[in-house]
Amino acid sequence: MEKRRLARLLALLMAFALVAAACGGGSDAGSDGAVDSDGGGDDAATTVPETDTEVATTVAPEASKFGGELVMALEAEATGLRPWEDTCSAPCYNMSIAVFDKLTEQDIDGNYQPYLAESLSSNDDFTEWTMTLRPGVVFHNGVELTGQTIVDMFALQQEGAAGSGGISAANLATVEATGDLEVVYSLSQPNSAFPATLSRAPVGMVFEPAAAAADPDGSAIAPVGTGPFMVTDRDVDNETVMTRNPNYWQTDAAGDQLPYLDSIVFRPTPDEGTRLAALVSGTVNGMHTLRQSTIRDARAEDGISLLEFQGNNVGGGMYNTAVAPYDDVRVRRALTMMNSQDKVIEALGGTGISDPATQWFSKDSPWYSDKVAAAYPGFDFPGGQSLLQEYVDDPARSDGKAVGEKIEVELSCPPDPTLIAAMQVIEQAWTASELVDVNLTNFDQQTHIGYALGAPPDFTGQHGAHCWRFSSDSDPSVDINPAVAPPTPEIAAAAGIPDIVSPLNFTNYFDGDVFTAAVAALRTDNFEERYGLYESIMLKFAEDVPGWYSGHTATMIATAENVNGFNGWLLPSGDVGIGFPAAEGRYHEVWISE
Amino acid sequence: MTLLDDAKSDTSSPSPSSNTPGKKKRQSPLAVFREMPILVKLSALWVLLIVVGSIYGKIDVLLDDVLPLQDPILQTNAFNPDTLEFGTGTPSENPSLTHWLGTDSIARDGFARIVHGSWVSLIVALVSATFGIVVGGFLGSLVGFVRGKTETIIMSLIDVILAFPALVLLLAMVSIFEVRNLYVISLVIGFLSIPAYTRVARANSLAISNREFVLAAQAIGTKPSKILFREIIPNVYQSLLSYALVAAAFVIVVEGTLSFLGLSVQLPTPTWGNMINEARSNINLTVWPVVWPSLALTFTVLSFNQIGDFFQKRNAVRGSAL
Repeated sequence: MEKRRLARLLALLMAFALVAAACGGGSDAGSDGAVDSDGGGDDAATTVPETDTEVATTVAPEASKFGGELVMALEAEATGLRPWEDTCSAPCYNMSIAVFDKLTEQDIDGNYQPYLAESLSSNDDFTEWTMTLRPGVVFHNGVELTGQTIVDMFALQQEGAAGSGGISAANLATVEATGDLEVVYSLSQPNSAFPATLSRAPVGMVFEPAAAAADPDGSAIAPVGTGPFMVTDRDVDNETVMTRNPNYWQTDAAGDQLPYLDSIVFRPTPDEGTRLAALVSGTVNGMHTLRQSTIRDARAEDGISLLEFQGNNVGGGMYNTAVAPYDDVRVRRALTMMNSQDKVIEALGGTGISDPATQWFSKDSPWYSDKVAAAYPGFDFPGGQSLLQEYVDDPARSDGKAVGEKIEVELSCPPDPTLIAAMQVIEQAWTASELVDVNLTNFDQQTHIGYALGAPPDFTGQHGAHCWRFSSDSDPSVDINPAVAPPTPEIAAAAGIPDIVSPLNFTNYFDGDVFTAAVAALRTDNFEERYGLYESIMLKFAEDVPGWYSGHTATMIATAENVNGFNGWLLPSGDVGIGFPAAEGRYHEVWISE
Repeated sequence: MTLLDDAKSDTSSPSPSSNTPGKKKRQSPLAVFREMPILVKLSALWVLLIVVGSIYGKIDVLLDDVLPLQDPILQTNAFNPDTLEFGTGTPSENPSLTHWLGTDSIARDGFARIVHGSWVSLIVALVSATFGIVVGGFLGSLVGFVRGKTETIIMSLIDVILAFPALVLLLAMVSIFEVRNLYVISLVIGFLSIPAYTRVARANSLAISNREFVLAAQAIGTKPSKILFREIIPNVYQSLLSYALVAAAFVIVVEGTLSFLGLSVQLPTPTWGNMINEARSNINLTVWPVVWPSLALTFTVLSFNQIGDFFQKRNAVRGSAL
């Protein structure tokens, strides 16, 4: 430990010397180029040893468990705190979940249970969902939560950038208040996974619609929800201070009113090393990360508690199948076969933390399939090389180049150091085949995502081979269905479904059978039936390879040793909640011991 | 700013062609080296070492690895299609006899990367200095001599560029280019160097324009363009060369900053900046991949500053003797 501190001190001195040298150069150029590291990444994933996943027994809190302040370092700032408008990733979820309650929440087995809703049920064909809200819940501004609140929220959600996407993906058509606390959601298509929609920010987080409509911009700074904490001060890119909601509706197992903490301070700290150092030094008493290398470094530290989680989220990359040469499955398979997952994971700092992935589900997931694992094209360099040679020697090759000429590949990742290392590992492997010219590019995260998203009406994007993350711990339909729907109006028309176009199909991969299976999975709630359908989709992915995988993304919340309650919190039903998936904490039962 | 000639050459004759400051007999490089204080001597030796190293590395690339220097982009633990086996290299290895400066996080040789990285730093410094001296030097000399509306217009434009935050402007310009190779980066930095060189050149040009040999040339009816190119510019440029050494140090840091931000030359080309950036995520495993490029960058910047300061002081002393 001492040695490592000394090493770090030496490195800091180096950095200082660098700054001093820059000053000596006689200019005032500053360098503030931290890059947000959330999102599209070839983050090798991990099989996380189930550290701390044992369920803590929820003990009736003593008086001493109330009070205190949690200072939480996050990997990025939330662009806004408007669930209906702002795209929300892990840092945003950490902040939003302290302010807003969701209508449903997952238990430790991944099943959806009512949360702010008291009950939720559907008709036989899953086109109509009836929800009853909990009585006596009030927003931070004193307004009472009613069925009409949900209806008024829907009007804003339809107009919001994030909300409209969620509504469309869920096939949600109308919302009607059928009683003081009763709401009926009507869907244009069956959706057996609708409770999953109500557990995510765009549609599921409950906000006070009158306040939001009165001041849409101000809501990004000071939103009004029903959650355990209220925003009292928000200095964007510096810190957001939240204080205890004295009227919060939840109590703990002993009947004491939650939350325990007096306040939470969220500080965006993009640099991974700085964030961990802040925790170790005591500057903050909590942090989160989605990077294996940070988990590796945190494991070497003393005096902090690690809460690791390895869910379904998988790192890797995708091919833009709408453009040559990625439109040929031989190229996609060949590139994937020449890519050593182990070496990529090593470059990402995930050795011993991440297992190589073969599908969108981790081995712990009930959706995991051994058949898919066997079908995924693993590392086979000679095999990949000969497959690519076949394409290169094909007079009808799709990229229009002469027979024998190398293919050109643009491999792009966000500029995180571990991703940069990983992409160079892939580049060397592909280049070693002597059949590929690789052009490496890095763009900041927003640009990286923007290139993949593209622009209307086609949304085919400007990407080639693109670092990306897939999947989550939500219901498979949440991630898979938008990713297999027709990506362009032309493809939709050709498939006979002109009204369904998905800008979230980033790979532009479309297969009629895959889409049909995805739609069928929303028409039943029978697990075995749904498992078979999603397994068939994953098998098709393994065959057609619209993307490649490195490993399942290990995530972590790390805290000072006296911080408790991220694990083992309870749902209103008394069942244990999902914990801290994807480094998204729940704060209502967090407490600080002496 | 000062002139670079001795008093005799300036005052003995008004002839613009034979006795202007730029025409003096030069000292040999060895004599100049002897004149340097010890710290400046060490700096000069360091710069020489870096220059030789960078050229050596470039020749090694051009001759397809014939020189005894490891491949800077070869991952020594990667799969080898010829042997169908993975290499035996170790990532984040400490310095050893095989890898003098250790290896980075993907098992590439640190020494080879430092040597090849120096090429980038020096080319950027050289191209931007050339750009600045030629364009900025000419503009500054021109406006300092002709004055009037030309000066007002050009210096206003220069002030506008100077008023804009340099790094922001640099990032914006670099982002425009889809292909970011060494020469594009050098030209962009060179373009942004123009205002500083223009200001230095203008200050020198203003002083020189009032000197006796210029006034004498004007008095005998020499054409302004001839005075500019034969009397003003040759003297201004000598001062700019001293300035360029100091500016080069800054430019190297700027390139390092761009590399650190992932906006300099494209990967996998090694640069000192991108080496530091890539290594920082493994700093808890080994600090050497951060230390070596940082030291190289620091010593190089320090050396250019020392040498630049030396020449500026040396010229100032000579000028004050006028």
